[in-house]
Amino acid sequence: MKTVTPRKDLLSFDDMSREEALAILDTAKPFKDLFTRSVKKVPTLRGKTVLNLFYEPSTRTRTSFEIAAKRLSADVTNFAVSTSSVVKGESILDTIDTLQAMQVDYMIVRHSASGVPEYIARHTKASVINAGDGYHAHPTQALLDAFTYREIYPDLQGKRIVVAGDILHSRVARSVFALMHLLGVEVGTFGPAPLIPPTIPDYVKVFTRFEEVLEFNPQVLYLLRLQLERQTANFFPSMREYHRVYGVTTERFRRIREMGMYIMHPGPVNRGVELVDDVMSYERSLINAQVENGIATRMAVLYHLTPEVKTRSGETEDHA
Amino acid sequence: MSHRIFQQARVILPGQTEPKTVDLRVHDGRIAEIAPNLQPAEGVDVIDCRGRILMPALCDAHVHLREPGQEDAETIESGTEAAIAGGFTRILAMPNTDPPIDTGGMVGFVQSMAKTRSRIPVSVAGCLTKGREGIKLAEIADMADQGAVMVTDCNHALQDAYVLRRALEYTRHFDMIVGVYPDTPALSAGGVMHEGAASFRLGLPGIPAMAEEIGIERELRVAAAVNGRMHIQNVSTAEGVASIRRWKARGVNVTAETTPHHLLFNHEDLRAYNTAFKMMPPLRTREDQEALLEGLCDGTLDMIATGHAPHTDFAKNLDFNHAPFGIIGLETALCALHDALVVPGKFSWSQLIERLALAPRKLLGLPGNAFEVGAPFEALLFDPEEKTHISRDTLKSRSFNTPWLGKTLQGAIQQVYLGGQDLKS
Repeated sequence: MKTVTPRKDLLSFDDMSREEALAILDTAKPFKDLFTRSVKKVPTLRGKTVLNLFYEPSTRTRTSFEIAAKRLSADVTNFAVSTSSVVKGESILDTIDTLQAMQVDYMIVRHSASGVPEYIARHTKASVINAGDGYHAHPTQALLDAFTYREIYPDLQGKRIVVAGDILHSRVARSVFALMHLLGVEVGTFGPAPLIPPTIPDYVKVFTRFEEVLEFNPQVLYLLRLQLERQTANFFPSMREYHRVYGVTTERFRRIREMGMYIMHPGPVNRGVELVDDVMSYERSLINAQVENGIATRMAVLYHLTPEVKTRSGETEDHA
Repeated sequence: MSHRIFQQARVILPGQTEPKTVDLRVHDGRIAEIAPNLQPAEGVDVIDCRGRILMPALCDAHVHLREPGQEDAETIESGTEAAIAGGFTRILAMPNTDPPIDTGGMVGFVQSMAKTRSRIPVSVAGCLTKGREGIKLAEIADMADQGAVMVTDCNHALQDAYVLRRALEYTRHFDMIVGVYPDTPALSAGGVMHEGAASFRLGLPGIPAMAEEIGIERELRVAAAVNGRMHIQNVSTAEGVASIRRWKARGVNVTAETTPHHLLFNHEDLRAYNTAFKMMPPLRTREDQEALLEGLCDGTLDMIATGHAPHTDFAKNLDFNHAPFGIIGLETALCALHDALVVPGKFSWSQLIERLALAPRKLLGLPGNAFEVGAPFEALLFDPEEKTHISRDTLKSRSFNTPWLGKTLQGAIQQVYLGGQDLKS
């Protein structure tokens, strides 16, 4: 494995090299192999404290991080934060000061506002992992997607992916674009025009018809979850029309299957909107693999980061 | 004190673009004589100004003093002290206080408070509509009688062109300016920064330029139709400048302002979600910056106003989506503009004086302070060689929400003169 500069936080892929991304993905592999053993735990983070700081409800991602941290033998605490108090003006810094005093080593942060994990990272010595902030980034999701993709195609250079759906409001899309591009994957996108702003990165190819997606012939079609409230804001007229024009319909699923395309989705799925139910049992649906790989990938991320929290002078880690 | 000579000051005289070294005699708070060399009579105070620029003191037509209602962010006293520190001897206080300044009584109340708490005269703007709700005109004649010079709803953009029309018509009898903040709320609602590549990258909801462009165009058409007297606040877009240029050429009675931060920053500067870069309208693009500067040079934009908007640390420490819009500007305007525009030669001293001192005074109906014999002596002494460091320790404002915090700027204000008084200690 190539050596990379120690990293305190994982906030986005803005400052990440291809080597570093590959290093994290390579580390995830042995962690996944561990899961088939009877003892699924390693002592890597014994004595360390991992804190789940979720300002936005999320059972799936939080649980995934919790299991990942526990399999590394860390102590895990879930810090319950009321989302309403933040809006009322309760300072995030007040919370961080409190947690800092508790000597937390890793903070997993999710927040509905972009930039909060970055803000917290600047004010704490703990390693901060962005578990999703606003529309900005969701780097561990993209890493687990890339890990899943690499299980099928170990070398992603020159491979293709199309991310379909609501790009404008999607942190997953931004992170998937960035990481896939970093790994040499050709990136395309498909969805209603109001949800695909012209300000997306230049390297993303925009398709306006499903036929064009098929011509591009990506190895993976990545469907984003559609937030149901978007239709009330007139980004598109109705769910029915969305499914007909931008979703995986029964007819389109037949074509996808014929071509052998893989399907990914960050979950949870809106059946009948992004895709028809049949896709869930499709042999090339990677949706369950993504969930499973989330744990190994998040273990690799925790393993990869180096908190600035120091032990008292003269003491070594082993004595603690 | 009543008789002084400012010796060998570099001065930009009316009609000239480059500084000239002259002596300036001040008698009883007025300029008595300007000549290359003046012989001081006995008993006359002599102030050595060698190497320094003596220029008309500044005037800011857009200041939020926050009192009454938000005294934790700013007060009349702290806000006017910040003005003095920045070289301003005249300011226009905005009416979006709590309660808002929307009656003659409130205008009188704020002016009487300012008389005891401020060392500089404070002009007051009243609300255009009651409670800034955009529905019912506020009692404009009452406010005019109490000395209000402008009516504006500040950042509550008028949604109703009918209300704007009636306001522009009604104010004609009262020598009152209608201040408008051009926006199309249906397009800007929910946004927190300029809509563009940077907002996509940061994952922040955008405010498209067209929200302002449509607002400016609409406001100008109404003003043209009813021949009203309008002042456009906070212009930030190139297309907005183009609209104003076009309508001014057709004779519409309009003035317009932009801010130092819209001239000197753009949306790409908004890194690391620093809420000191969050303001309304938002920082736009490099092209917009250039168009604003061009607008100031050709007179499409009449003045630079800081839009001084204090907010507490607590409020600005919220996440970017929830933190309030606005930054303070009084104490950084002159040095920042000098540093970024005058030093590299993009903007002349005479242009700076016109846009930051003379034009805003004219807007507020105040006597001019250009350096002419007989004019009131309101001036500041500026050392272009010295540097100014902006920090929490140096700022007089109660709030520190400025993108220049921690920065060092070329140039320093050494003294501010108001009539016979030296305002800086």
